[in-house]
Parts: sequence; C-alpha cells; structure tokens
Amino acid sequence: MATLLFEIGCEELPAWACREAEVQLPGLCERELGRRPDELLLGPRRLAFLVRDLPERSPDEWVKGPPEHMRQQAADGFARKQGVAVADLEVREGFLGITRPGRPLAEVLPDRLDAIVQSLTFSKSMVWEAGGLRFARPVRWRLAKLDAADIAGDGASYGHRFTHGRVEAPEAEAYAETLRAAGVEPNQAVRRAAIVAGLDAIGGWSDPVGVLEEVVFLVESPVVLAGRFDERFLQLPRRVVETAMQSHQRYFPLEGGRFAFVANGGDPETVIAGNEQVLEGRLEDASFTFERDVAKGIEQLAEESGRITFVAGAGTFADKAARLLALVEALGGGEASLEAARLAKADQAAELVREFPELEGHIGAEYARLAGFPEGVCAAIDEQYLPEVAGGPLPSTEPGRVLAAAEKVDNLTVAFALGERPSGSRDPYGLRRAAIGLCRLALEAGLELDVSALVERDRALLVEQGAEVREDPADVADFVLERLEGLLDVPVEFLRAARAGATTELGAVARLAETLAREATSDSFERAYVAYDRSNRLAGRADGAAAALDPKLATEEAEVALIDALGAASPRIEAAVQARDFESALAAAAELGPPVDRFFDEVLVMAEDESIRANRLRLLLEVRDAVGALGDLSQIPR
Amino acid sequence: MSAPTYQETIAALERYWADYGCVVMQPYHTEVAAGTMNPATFLRCLGPQPWKTAYVEPSIRPLDGRYGENPFRFQHYFQYQVVLKPAPENVLDVYFGSLEAIGIDLRKHDVRLVEDDWEQPTLGAWGLGWEVWCDGMEITQWTYFQQLGGLELDLIPAEMTYGLERLTMFLQGKRTAFDLEWAPGVTWGDVYRESERQWSVYNFEKAPVDVLTRHFNEHEEECRLLIGERLPLPAYDQVLKCSHTFNLLDARGALSATERAAYIGRVRNLARSVAQLYVEMETDGDAAL
Repeated sequence: MATLLFEIGCEELPAWACREAEVQLPGLCERELGRRPDELLLGPRRLAFLVRDLPERSPDEWVKGPPEHMRQQAADGFARKQGVAVADLEVREGFLGITRPGRPLAEVLPDRLDAIVQSLTFSKSMVWEAGGLRFARPVRWRLAKLDAADIAGDGASYGHRFTHGRVEAPEAEAYAETLRAAGVEPNQAVRRAAIVAGLDAIGGWSDPVGVLEEVVFLVESPVVLAGRFDERFLQLPRRVVETAMQSHQRYFPLEGGRFAFVANGGDPETVIAGNEQVLEGRLEDASFTFERDVAKGIEQLAEESGRITFVAGAGTFADKAARLLALVEALGGGEASLEAARLAKADQAAELVREFPELEGHIGAEYARLAGFPEGVCAAIDEQYLPEVAGGPLPSTEPGRVLAAAEKVDNLTVAFALGERPSGSRDPYGLRRAAIGLCRLALEAGLELDVSALVERDRALLVEQGAEVREDPADVADFVLERLEGLLDVPVEFLRAARAGATTELGAVARLAETLAREATSDSFERAYVAYDRSNRLAGRADGAAAALDPKLATEEAEVALIDALGAASPRIEAAVQARDFESALAAAAELGPPVDRFFDEVLVMAEDESIRANRLRLLLEVRDAVGALGDLSQIPR
Repeated sequence: MSAPTYQETIAALERYWADYGCVVMQPYHTEVAAGTMNPATFLRCLGPQPWKTAYVEPSIRPLDGRYGENPFRFQHYFQYQVVLKPAPENVLDVYFGSLEAIGIDLRKHDVRLVEDDWEQPTLGAWGLGWEVWCDGMEITQWTYFQQLGGLELDLIPAEMTYGLERLTMFLQGKRTAFDLEWAPGVTWGDVYRESERQWSVYNFEKAPVDVLTRHFNEHEEECRLLIGERLPLPAYDQVLKCSHTFNLLDARGALSATERAAYIGRVRNLARSVAQLYVEMETDGDAAL
C-alpha cells in the first residue's frame, strides 16, 4: 500500500475557489483513484490532498469478448484486436476474453491526476494562456509524491512567498511538516483555529459582517495583530466604521478605537503601523463625507433625493417617499411611521450611501437621530429593508414593520407596472424576497395587509405622479399570495381554495387555509363541501339563471326549505368571515348541506317553466356564493 | 536614508521596467479615466503581437473631485501602468521585484494578493486578478485580461496598475496625498491642490451640458466615419473623447439612470467596432503601427 500526496500550486486563489475545490475534490479523487482523500489541505496558493493505503497496482481488468459458441467466427478477430494469440484467450461465464493485468500505480497516476485538475470547475474561471486550462487562478506547479517517488513535476513545492522559496518534501507523509518548516500552514482547520486563538488572546473581538471564513484563505502563515485608531472616528455611525474595517480591510472590530487583523508575515510593528495608517485614512475619508452630509442635514437630503432617479419610468426617490407616505397611511401607520416614510429615502442623496451602499437606511437613521427625530422614527428608517434575506429577521418596531411593508408593496407595484415581473430564475429586484417579506410581516408580525387594495392605491399614485405605468400591476396580489404556499404547513390546494374566498387580507387568507385544512375531515366541512359542490356543478355551468331570486316562484317544499336555510345561514357566514372566525363560518355553511341534498333529491331544477328554472338556478348560485365566501372548495381533492 | 520623493519613485519604476525590456511610453494626449484606456494598453493587447510597455498615466475622473477639500479624493491623479503580453510564467515574481526596486522590503511588510476582479463596461472589457495589499494599503490593481472590446484575446496579458499616490503615501509614511513630497521641498498639494479646486468647479458646476451633449454626438459620428475609412487609431481617440464627455455629463448630474446606461452602451459599441477593425488589420498585416 502506498500514500499519495498531490498538490496543485496556484497563484493566490480566492477563498470561494478554495471552498468550491473542497466540495469537488473528494468525488474526483474517488472517481480517478478509487478512494476518497484522507486529508484535504487547502489554501490560497495550493490545493492539496493526501490519500493513504492506495494499492500499488491498478486492479486487473477483464476484457470481455465474443460468446464462446462464436469461437469459430470471432475469436481470431478479437485476439488480433487485443494484440494476443488465440491460444491466450480465456473463458469466463460463457464468454471469451483476456485478463489485462493491472499497471503499477506510478504509471497510471499522471493521467489520473491530470484528469482531476482538468475536471475541477469554478463559478468564475480564467485562462492565463489562450486556449489553455481554465482554473480560478493560474496553476504554476504540480507536486505528486507516491511515498518517496515523484510522479508529476520536479518534486518541488514552494513555501511562504517571501520568506521561503522552493522546498522538497522527502515523502508524501512529510508534506505538511515540510511546508510548516517553510512558513506555510497548509491545513485550513489549523489556520482557522490559530486565528481564533489569536483573536481570543486579544479578546473582545467581533465579526459582524462575517469575514473570518475568508480570512482563513487569505493567509498561509497567520499572525494575529491588533492596532488602534483615533477615537474621534467613533463619532461616525458604528456600522460605517465596521464596514470600513470588515468589508474593505477584513479587520475584526475590538472595543473602543481598536481593531484586530490577520497578517501573513512581516515585522509586526511595521505591519501594525501600516494598517493603522490605512484604516485612519479610510475613516478620515468617510468623516469628510459624513460631515458634508451632516452639514446639509436630513431635511435637505430629502429634498435633494427629488433629483435622483429611483427607477427609470417611476420617478425620483422623493416621489417614492411620497408613495410610501400614502401607503403607510393606508396601512393605518402612526405618527412615527408617517414621519419615517417621509424621510425614508433621504439618505439616497447622501454621499456616504454612495460610498457604503450596503448601509442605506442605516445611514438615514443615523442622520435622523442627529437631527433629533424620535427613536421610533429613526428605527423605522433603519429597518425599512428588513428582512434582508427571505428568512432574515423582521423589523423589531411597529413603525419599522409598517414602513417595511410599504417599501415592499411599492417595489413590487413599480416593477409589475413597468412590466418587469420576475421570470424563472430572473429576479433582479429581489421581488420574491419582497413578497415573502410581506407574507412574513402578516403571518409573524400580525400586520394587516390587504395587498390588492394597497397595490391599487400605489398604482393610482404612480399615475398621478406621471410615472410610465405600462401594465396593470394588480397581479402583485396573486404573486404575493403564491409565496404563502412555501411558508404555510398546509397542502397547496387549501391555499388555492382560500385565495378565492371573500377575504383578501394576507393573514386572513392564511388562517382560512389553515382552518380548511384542519377541518377537512370533519362533518361540517363535508356538508359545506356538498352544498358548494353540488350547487356549483349544476348552476355554475348552466345558462339562464334569473337576475335575482324570487321566493314567490318557489313551488316545492324542498325548494322553500333551501331558501329559508340560505336566508338563515348566509348572513351568519358573511359576518363570521368578516370577523375571521372561519370555524363558525364553516359551521353556518354546513347547515346548507342537508337542504341542498334534499333539494337535489326532490326538485327538478331544469323545470319546463322557464321562469321557475331560472329562479332555481339563481338559488343554487346564491348557495354557492354564500359558501364560496370560504373559498373555492372545488379546489380541494376529495 | 530618507524616503524617495514622488518623482524618484516614478523614476525607479521607469528604470526597473525599462531594464526588464518594456517600451517606456509617455502619457496619452487625451483624457482617459485609467491607463487601461491608453491605446498602448487597450489596442496593443488585441491581436497576436507580443508587447511589453510601462508608462505614467494621469487618471481623469470628474466625478471623484472634491474641490481639493478631501485629501483622499481627486478628479486627477496618477497611475503607473505596466502591461506584459503575454504574461510570463514568473510574472508575479517580476512584479514583486518592482516593489523591491522602489524600496519595499518584502520580508518586513505584509504583501498580499486579495481577489479583485476588474470590469470596464464602456470598453467591453474584463479580467480576473487581485488588489495588491501592502500592510493593508492597496498599492496595485493586478489583472489578467480575458476580453477587450468584447473580443477574446490571442495572448493573455498581465496588467499591473500602481496607484502612485497610495504607493508613495505608503513609502513616505504620509497620511494624505497632499502631504506627499513630490520633489525636495515641494508637495503634491503644492502642485495640484488649486487645480483640484478649479477643475471641481468646472466639472460639477460650469461644464456646458448642451455643448457636451453635442460634442458626444459629433465624436460618435466621427468615430463611425473613421471606422469606415479603416483608420482604427484616430477612431479610437474619438472613443476616448466620447468616454470623457460622458464622464463630464455624469459629473454635471445631467444623466438619469436610463440615459447613463444608454451612453455607456454607445461608447461600448464604438470600442467594440474599433477593436474588431484593429484586430482585422493586425491579422491581415496591413496595419503598420
């Protein structure tokens, strides 16, 4: 048995490329070598793996030829093709064939290893020689050692880029220790642990943006260091400081005017001084921008947002703020949410948002705070874009929830009105996430959201503002309701049924669907279903129903009984649906089941007398519509 | 030994890359936003001919001016541009050698390559590479071009763009570009601060929108005529003029998001046509450059 070490030496790979290789290498290794690697060693300049207990020869291979009974006709040709004499052919399970002996591993490896390199794919790749290999970054060397033998390359690897050059590992198992002696920690888990230990030793570190996993792949020789910056920069919004540190520099914020970072070598004092200067430069630049914004103040910024296009065809950010204000009003939002809506888009005119686009909303909230607005207003401005991902946290304040809902309704309405509906995987404006956000605001936060009404109000505002409304955005409501399917633990048929009911408010549709699903096997559901289904089947398809029901035209006893039952049940169903007491509504609807059955048993709907027939069809339609306040029950499979 | 002046650092880079075998060029004669747009990079990187060059390029970006008030933002600053086509196998070592040549001790500092991909939509160009960090300071934008003018490349060039202000701030230990010592006793601020103020006034407040709009159309028209005349080099200057005119219009706040996209598309189409013609003539051998 032998141990194989294979290293693909690269120019600095991005962290994501290392992780994509991590996912693929075990499978590729198994495909080409018959075994999964025992160790994966991944870093910015090398993708390596170690496989132990590899058989030293590849297994013998049985090459199957023609059936034995065809020996006369076919043996000669087969033997010639395989380059053996007919006498050497063997017989197995009725077939002629030959045993091709396995080859020494060292002979087959170069091709197999090359196949692994060729098969690795990356979400973004490049060439460094026209028409050459595609890889995440250029591959500059390969090292393959089978125990102590060199299989590919010249037996060289390379240590730390600046402190150690070419190194040679005496054998496969000595690879990691050879690199360690050359200033490289090849094992990503070891690097990660060293970084965390270093940060812990400094203490009080945080990683709000989440750069640790990337930093593990930015260094081969991690050294954790700490620096300081002038505390006057703490007057900047905290997240601006954090973003400058994390997104731009991959630092870890510490408390007060301090930060930690991970270097890849160098003289610590020199490296710390340099990084401190860089961070101060960035923060000073941000301060210039911040102070210019603050000198203008949020009210002036709100005014200037009237010169910035929100979306071509849908006006400026000031226009958008005006729509948000009206939507918040329609949502019954209080003083704080109204004020927040008015100022929601002011920060789009802020220079600091141009520098830190990921902090939109947050920067506006800070500027509102500096202008002395109540905390409720500031928090709502801050929270308007939540949830940031479909499953992310919702706004924590009531004004924030109302403004976040208005923001999403407007984004959806504008996109649909401009004809930019998401299709397939194309959803550049994140409209599915917005719709899911609305559903969650209704389901989890109990916000009352009558999407149809809100969209209609928004559409009217767009028209008033002179926007290019190219298409009717009314289908936003369906688009949002469809998202409920993924959020509720209810078979989709119940949701589809409920969506056709008398209620359009998002949370109510959800509760109605849940009630129908829960009651699906109850007697009352069965009776309501019968009432709906039998009347719908006949009257729903027939022509000639009277315009209005005339009780005086009822001639049969069962017919009169049904009219009476309808008169009693209908207002109770309506009132209960109105009150969102769907169980009571279902109970009232169930009372129509027996009279409908009796009606069909005893009454001939298609009477010869046209007016009687028309009246009976109208009666059935009214029964269907009364029960139909609970939804289109025919959607539910029986 | 005291830190090198700004001009000494430029001289050291010129020396290093000249010794390496580069054709040391001079800045181009019309405004470009980046050294990449100089025909010595954009056009020379197309086609089958090897090419090595190095030069200083003023980077003109009207939108980035701050009236000389913010010592980190300028509408006019300098890049040192190096192109090696094709990129040799030891290209990174050659690059790191240039850092040593300007006085950076690679063992004393933390020099790293951090993923940064490059894209220039107005030129239909993109590449993959890094920003080079020296103790956290981005001193070079490093790119393997993959496409220029929407065309695949015959030879893959490496482009190294040093940010001369940041690099010398690092070397001199200066907080801002204004404080850089350009020549003994003369700072970068002495040379350019007033220029920043006046050009910011022009770019943001005075540049005549109607005239610029007309110029853009004229340059576009002339570019098309020159392409028809099979003169890709003069045609390319018109692409550059369109691009700069667009940048001025943008700085004047004269463009909506849709208009911006449309202008970018127009410049990209011109760049693409010029690139195609250039490659066609290079390949036919009827262009003597």
